[in-house]
Amino acid sequence: MLDVLMGNRKIPASHSGRNDSYLIMLKAFIAISAVMLIPCLGLSKDPDEAIYAAEIEPIVQAHCYDCHGDGMDKGDFAMDKYQSLDAHFKDIAVWYEIWKNVRGNLMPPADKKALSESEKKKVLSFIERVVFKIDAKNPDPGRVTIRRLNREEYRYTIKDLFNVDFDVEDNFPADDTGYGFDTIGDVLSISPLHMEKYLDAANTIAAKAVPVDGPQIVEWWVENKEFKSEQNEKHHMGYIPMDANWTFKSNRWVAHDGEYELSLEFTIKGSNEATEQTGTLNFGYDGKDLVQRKIGWDNSKSLKVKTKARLQAGNKVPFHLTMEPGNPPGEGKNKLIVSIKSIVMRGPLDGSQKDYPWGFRHIFSEGPPPPGQNERDIYRRTILGRLATKIFRQPADAVTVDRLVKLARMVDEQPGKNFEHGIRHAVIAMLASPRFLMRAEIQAEPDNSGKVVLIDEYALASRLSYFLWSSTPDEELMKLAGEKKLRANLRAQIDRMLAHEKSKRFVESFVGQWLQARDVETINIDARVALGIKDLEQARRQFNGRVRSGMREESELFFEHVLKENRPVSELLTANYTFLNEDLANWYGIKDVKGREMRKVELGGDSKRGGILGQGTFHIVTSNPTRTSPVKRGLFVLENMLATPAPPAAPDVPPLEETLKGKNKNLSLREALALHAQDKACAACHARMDPIGLALENYNPAGLWIDQYNGKPILTEGKLMTGESFKNAKELSHILATARVADFHKALAEKMLTYAVGRGVEYYDAPTINQIVDRVGKNQGKLRELIYGVIESAPFQKRRGDGNMLAKIKP
Amino acid sequence: MSMKKELSGSPLNRRHFLRGLGAGISLPVFETFLPKNAFAANGKALSVTKSGMPLRTAFIYKPNGVNMDKWTVTGTGRDYQFNETQQPFAKFREDIHLLSRLEHKNGTAGKDGGGDHARANATFLTGMRPYKTAGADIKLGMSVDQIIAREIGHQTRLSSLELSCDGVRKSGVCDSGYSCAYQFNLSWRSDVTPMTPEASPRLVFERLFGAGSKEERAQGFEIRNREQQSILDFVMEDARQLNKQLGRNDKIKLDEYMTGIREIERRVEKAKRFGLPKDPGVSAPEGTPSEYEEHIRLMMDMMVMAFQTDSTRVATFLLAHDGSNRSFKEIGVADGHHSISHHQKDPVNLDKLAKIDLFYSMQLAYFLEQLSSKKDVDGSSLLHNSMIVWGSGLSDPDRHSHNNLPIVVAGHGGGALKTGVHTDLGQDTPMSNLFLNMLDQIGIKEERFGDSTGRISGFTV
Repeated sequence: MLDVLMGNRKIPASHSGRNDSYLIMLKAFIAISAVMLIPCLGLSKDPDEAIYAAEIEPIVQAHCYDCHGDGMDKGDFAMDKYQSLDAHFKDIAVWYEIWKNVRGNLMPPADKKALSESEKKKVLSFIERVVFKIDAKNPDPGRVTIRRLNREEYRYTIKDLFNVDFDVEDNFPADDTGYGFDTIGDVLSISPLHMEKYLDAANTIAAKAVPVDGPQIVEWWVENKEFKSEQNEKHHMGYIPMDANWTFKSNRWVAHDGEYELSLEFTIKGSNEATEQTGTLNFGYDGKDLVQRKIGWDNSKSLKVKTKARLQAGNKVPFHLTMEPGNPPGEGKNKLIVSIKSIVMRGPLDGSQKDYPWGFRHIFSEGPPPPGQNERDIYRRTILGRLATKIFRQPADAVTVDRLVKLARMVDEQPGKNFEHGIRHAVIAMLASPRFLMRAEIQAEPDNSGKVVLIDEYALASRLSYFLWSSTPDEELMKLAGEKKLRANLRAQIDRMLAHEKSKRFVESFVGQWLQARDVETINIDARVALGIKDLEQARRQFNGRVRSGMREESELFFEHVLKENRPVSELLTANYTFLNEDLANWYGIKDVKGREMRKVELGGDSKRGGILGQGTFHIVTSNPTRTSPVKRGLFVLENMLATPAPPAAPDVPPLEETLKGKNKNLSLREALALHAQDKACAACHARMDPIGLALENYNPAGLWIDQYNGKPILTEGKLMTGESFKNAKELSHILATARVADFHKALAEKMLTYAVGRGVEYYDAPTINQIVDRVGKNQGKLRELIYGVIESAPFQKRRGDGNMLAKIKP
Repeated sequence: MSMKKELSGSPLNRRHFLRGLGAGISLPVFETFLPKNAFAANGKALSVTKSGMPLRTAFIYKPNGVNMDKWTVTGTGRDYQFNETQQPFAKFREDIHLLSRLEHKNGTAGKDGGGDHARANATFLTGMRPYKTAGADIKLGMSVDQIIAREIGHQTRLSSLELSCDGVRKSGVCDSGYSCAYQFNLSWRSDVTPMTPEASPRLVFERLFGAGSKEERAQGFEIRNREQQSILDFVMEDARQLNKQLGRNDKIKLDEYMTGIREIERRVEKAKRFGLPKDPGVSAPEGTPSEYEEHIRLMMDMMVMAFQTDSTRVATFLLAHDGSNRSFKEIGVADGHHSISHHQKDPVNLDKLAKIDLFYSMQLAYFLEQLSSKKDVDGSSLLHNSMIVWGSGLSDPDRHSHNNLPIVVAGHGGGALKTGVHTDLGQDTPMSNLFLNMLDQIGIKEERFGDSTGRISGFTV
């Protein structure tokens, strides 16, 4: 049980192939050092050494040397074992450990005097500046590994490119994740199985995206709103009550003279049971009825009438549709409603004006192909050049387009195949290409780790689009990138993208992983235990799929609201509202919420809900099937809200289970944890995790509020490692949102950066994270500032050549 | 969202599927082309039994160790007694070899701290220590099944088959700072690239025999092979162009892509050589059963069909990732597997754990039953001509022990393997040693594998 998930960040290792990059780095290091030393020539002492002696060493001596200096080397770790300060500064691995532990509030340990905030800041910035050589004004952007689209991104990219729904869950294996997200290039590997799937998918999708039956007689859709009612301006043909006379008229534009097939599709609604009501529907033009149809109760079936008419080209072909009432519905019966679904004119039927169906004209933009192969090549070049630019997310080079044209022509020239088969074949090739499946960002000198460049505008368009839409850039982004104006209009584009409904994908994906809302519907929770009911079926009926999906939606809508309304990030913890439907409201014991749809609900001041820590999603994903896990909950808050990864349990620490043996086995969880924490080795971790988890014990594994457990009252009082006391979950949330709000901002910034950029947050990102946190703090803590901050940061805007700055000091 | 597609009324449908599979038993087995394909280019037999049959190898992983009190065998040699959770093996006593004291030292904490479940999973078929990272620079080692696939994969339509029942992944971070890649993949084709397992029975079926109805399968296969080549040529050229512009790490990723393409090309080439995939006489299963046991058994059926039609000779099956917290309401255990695997020596927990162990043992028994009921061309059973390893990367899950692992070797390797015995190796012995013995059987000479120190004795008759 103790073995729960713990974050553990490390300096990246080097692959064997990378070692030579060290030389390059060393050169860069020497160059930088030389520049820094110039002003100090002639002085006997390095200024940094002086600063160290005056400002840093006293802090370290006072807080660390009890265990890690003056002859002590607890955990094999001594800080004063060096011949010279210079040698000390160069032992980066040791400093990395110090930096990591101080930054995460892991050191000094619980039973020693903590560093003050200003001492902490001094030590950290000294290490960052002098040892890591981080230039805070110009931080290392790091390097994002080329990565393939994950399942969600693939799904949405196909949807946005071709308006084709492709079931990725059914067709692709699950993606591996890293740092808690499925956007990490390093772990999104491509196995041979993936390639098989991608090739199959390309075939399936192209078959839907590119029709091969050539130009067809055109179907012209007449929209309901083109018809106006004579009786009531506001009425539309989707809702025609059958108890009165109705006339709708429209002057329709017709493109070509000729005979057309007219079809009218409608349903009759209003009553689930049969009624006596009747009526007559007439449809025609020029004052003549073409079809007349007696109508009555018909069980909401889809009904269709067809007729033919000779129409003349022009703006004013006067169509009409009338409804005449017949019998009334009968005693106590509902009145019926006619609802027109569609009116379609198909023609001219002589086939003189064939074209591709509307949905495919963006591909076959110039209509049917010319007869000769050479002329066709010109058309192919137009079609495939445009498609390649869209599919590859950047302009396709002439050589590539040539190859595509050749591929398409080869197919066209085969017996039994046509022009469209060729285009489809080329689309398959593009969808199987690494330039579609993977997001490569090209830079000059890709292996020069000292070379930092702004990513090009197309790459920026892709980063933005996959971050906020989980999909390919739209036309506007591509256009701006083409004009090199995207960077200049960044803020407006971010706002546009967040306002677009596609941003819901970002919310689902980010909240789905940061708060694990993706899991809430599938995780095992024993409904019987949660409800105290013996019968499994009965328990499952109560804790049903609707309650669970409601919880997921609650988390998503809640985050989306704070994002769209640009509310403070801290409101994610302390909001006095949430999103509910009747099922979920009943589950939470909140009255007067009726109906299936989720809506914003204001909560009373004494509500047990409001904020992430009051949501069923959080309670479920941090529980075991039959009981809560205070340790998991504590860790979840540390990792996701306080940016404090708990240190992994030391190998020689006796697990909690040892404590629980024999005479201790009837202890409550709180008592057991307390006993376990008496062991000093355990105390360091548990003093951080347990109080947080125990404060949330009122929420059972299914998110229900309970006042006692096993007949005992639940004690929720506790104290954070940083000293703040709280009485219960509400107060804990409040502390996280006020006294610890900078940590909360930092946690969210780190998660968002990881998700957006596709790599883990590293030591050299410290200034970037600090900048984002400062910025959010200075702007009333608003969530959008955090997103602006991430997007405008060096890691998002830039990249450097391959090779790792600290590769040599891999621990 | 990512809800699992469920097969309505799954048990019925699976039985329906299996009835169809019954028809498959009678179909003629690969006699005609076997001899010329069963030998390597130099004429040496690889993965072939004494009687010239294909030797099939499978590795099956059970998560979260076992209740050792109910697993530990008493007695050695032929004179041993099954413990409680081994009872389902009784029928196959003469077909299995129980081994005690195999270990994966690289699964232990060492300097890496927590994360025993990730390591148990990662070490199981690699014998290597996973590099501790949540994402960047994942690094492990080639797994034994992939060494086999590398050497003998050219002989069959699919080089290897990787299966799992974890179609839906947990979101968020995995075990104690390890990337989820270590915990959800058993098979690794190189130290950085896992072989992604397939969790959908339908898709496994389609990989083996093609998509669509029987007629469509035959037709689709022909057309696909013909048209595919021009696509493969195009994308390979694309990849080469792109490769010129990339840095080192990106090239590693792109190389995964190119390897995938080459693998498909090899398959196309093999398809020409082998002709159409054998008609299994059944339609593809419709979806993924909601019941875990049904899911496991359907995947095992797929493995049996793959072996029976000689579509591949090596397979891995991750029943569930180590650390899995699945509950087993169907056998009366509502608690999460992982959470009660930390049993704290509590008799109630130990009891529940044993129930789960028994459940898993029954699944192995089912697999062995299927293999033993299928006849190979030489008249013996598929089980006779197989070499199966079943086990877990942990022994006592409460202490995260990585030694004295619960391991069963099943099958006779065509008559070469010693069976009907329990061997206590006397001292902790690398599991990698066992893998060297297995490679010997296949005809692959390796001096070292993972953390091997030699070979175990008493593996063969």
